[in-house]
Amino acid sequence: MKGLFIGAGLVLSSLVPASDHNNIEAGRPLRFDDAYSIAFRERAFEFGLTLDTFRRRGPSYGNKTEFKYGFAKNQDISVAIEPTYSSPERRGDLGNVEIGYFNGLRRQIDDAPALAYRVDVGLPTGRDAKGLDLRFRGIATKALGQYDKVHLNLDLNMNTSPGPGEHRHTVGAVLGYSTPLGYPRRFDQTLVADFAVQQSKKQGEGYVGSVGLGLRRQVSPQAVFDIGVTSDLFSAKGAERRPFRLAIGYSVSF
Amino acid sequence: MKAIIFFGLTAMTAIGLAQDHSGHQMAGMKKQTELPAMPTDIPGWLNAPGADHLFYKAARYNWAINRIPKFAKDMYATGVGHAMAYEALVRGEASTLETKTFDKINWVLKHPPAMPVDEGAISPTFLRKYGYLEKVFDWAHTLHFQTIDVFAHPGWTDEQKEKEIERLWEFYEAQPYAITGLPMNMDYLDSFPYSMKFRTDYPKVNGLFWGYHWLQTVNYDMLYRVPVKDQASQYEVLGARYHETELYKTDRDFMPMMAEMSPRFAKRFPQIANAFDNLHMLHDNVNDILAQPQLTEAQKQEQVKIAIYRVLATTHKGETPGDSEGKENTLHDHRHPPSMPGMGWMKGSEDDIMWMSGMGWMDMSACSHCSIPMPEGNPWGATVSAEGWTMMVRCLMCARDMAGETPGRAIIRAATNDPNRLLVLISDEEGNWTSNIEGIVFLEKFGEHPECSGWSRAFTTLAALEKYVADNPEYKDTKPLTLAEWAALNHATPDTYRKIDKPNPYKPGPPPSNGGGR
Repeated sequence: MKGLFIGAGLVLSSLVPASDHNNIEAGRPLRFDDAYSIAFRERAFEFGLTLDTFRRRGPSYGNKTEFKYGFAKNQDISVAIEPTYSSPERRGDLGNVEIGYFNGLRRQIDDAPALAYRVDVGLPTGRDAKGLDLRFRGIATKALGQYDKVHLNLDLNMNTSPGPGEHRHTVGAVLGYSTPLGYPRRFDQTLVADFAVQQSKKQGEGYVGSVGLGLRRQVSPQAVFDIGVTSDLFSAKGAERRPFRLAIGYSVSF
Repeated sequence: MKAIIFFGLTAMTAIGLAQDHSGHQMAGMKKQTELPAMPTDIPGWLNAPGADHLFYKAARYNWAINRIPKFAKDMYATGVGHAMAYEALVRGEASTLETKTFDKINWVLKHPPAMPVDEGAISPTFLRKYGYLEKVFDWAHTLHFQTIDVFAHPGWTDEQKEKEIERLWEFYEAQPYAITGLPMNMDYLDSFPYSMKFRTDYPKVNGLFWGYHWLQTVNYDMLYRVPVKDQASQYEVLGARYHETELYKTDRDFMPMMAEMSPRFAKRFPQIANAFDNLHMLHDNVNDILAQPQLTEAQKQEQVKIAIYRVLATTHKGETPGDSEGKENTLHDHRHPPSMPGMGWMKGSEDDIMWMSGMGWMDMSACSHCSIPMPEGNPWGATVSAEGWTMMVRCLMCARDMAGETPGRAIIRAATNDPNRLLVLISDEEGNWTSNIEGIVFLEKFGEHPECSGWSRAFTTLAALEKYVADNPEYKDTKPLTLAEWAALNHATPDTYRKIDKPNPYKPGPPPSNGGGR
């Protein structure tokens, strides 16, 4: 456990001005964060739509809205809610309210990577939710060559009231990649890709491995559009896989 | 022994650098022979690891610059040049600066982006090494853009805008990365062993840099107290000049200064004008340091930090503009031309007389056309922008005749009877003028130049002119002039004009054949 926390401390999550296509945030559109917070005094709204497909049941739809505020240099807080609709069950769920805190510890200096961490708390406001969902994420961002960057996120997830047959703790990792598209003639879009491994919540199930590819594009000085697709490549011990996930988002800062 | 060898090497490097450009020593300060030493009170944030990104002041005017699309795009493109050049320098690609890198920058300047660019993303290697410098640049560039946004915002009066500009300055100054608004001795800031290296070795790229410093400085008088609807039309003239000429000039004596390019703004907001000049000087210092192959990586890092320290507001806390007692030609020399508080001390300056690149020696307290001292208070007269320069003149006649002596298009910005209505006149290549005020009428009763600001004026209405004539019966027989009638007049160079004959302080050799004047 101690090792996990040290790992989390080394690699937690993300960014610079939220509405900057260079600043990568989890969910917009893939799963990783870069090691930079939004700017001090910046406020940002992020909106996202997701479509998830499954092998054994019908698709579900999500609609996430998040507000962020850079309350201090290199630190921001966020509040998010993601109502979902499950087609097999034909009903919606308000979802948990998530409160997040991000701390950018250092920028990349020479070859030493940028480091940050984030803590997210999910309040049990969703249907049948119990206890708190906690996530500790450690983030490192490092340049690879001149313009390419890699981002390592290590997650420790915890639920204070796990359901029957569920783990109290799970771990995960995401290796992200970002590169500007169009340099040196255009400066408004970033290609992102990731590879993630996540431990299933259910006891007896193993890990799910997935890949994602996406694009973030600046559409105005204050706004970024993003789109990404993710696919679960493998799973161990019967863990459920999502063959296809589509995420589309729009972020605006003010 | 190790220390002695290190000292010896450092001293030899410094002397070598100092001799590098000895041919440039003219009037003013001599180039220093020793590299500046690290001050003991260097601010802690320079060594702090945080990214420390700052957001601009939240306001409804943000991004109003986009109301002038061509100008906005050209301004956005300026973020690319230094970033690409710095990236090339820190990656050991200096040999490409005048060729491949120049072409890359020039392409972007010719095809400017529709949105602002993240300079740090264009120069990631530079950012990893000099992230502390980026904090200073970013914060000053934010002030640049927000002040422009305020002026381009259509919803406020001039008074509201001026108050907001003052609040923006306070907002800017509150951060430790703020550059001082005090006038600095530019000759001193350009006197280090590495100084002038970049402009000497890379004149084409330096030309681009100083070209867009021209754009960043010339725009303020285009916007200041000018109705929003009349701003874009001026940029048709200035933008063409920028792309056709200013970007590619390699014969400037010195970087464009705020008070040279936007004298009305510099007079009204001297702190901001000085901060931008100091920012641009910091850019030049950094260019020179990075371009100096004799400096080690560690020396470059140290010299960049020292260069930042020199211009920070915290370094000059408690000091006042104009103060130089016993500190002439030092870091704490805050002299300025008496009539222009928004201008630092330049090479060879004497009181209000300074060398302006492209114009020669000019007296900033006097009309550029008739050499008679500018009137105190309102009306403030006019400015003329032509051939890349902007000059203050006493009256509309001086403005028209000065523009008439100059080839190419010109812009006149002039006071009218209404302090809230600025007259903007724009000429075509043939000297045909258009006005932003329909029905503008002129009074011109040619007489003695010392009184020209009384007998050469513009009025927004005929009634306003008649009221002025009623209050000043000496003009009762003077016929009101339409724009066409007024534009057809020309009284040539007045006999009061006095050319200042002195050599160019930046270049060796005898004075130019025109005596150094215009």
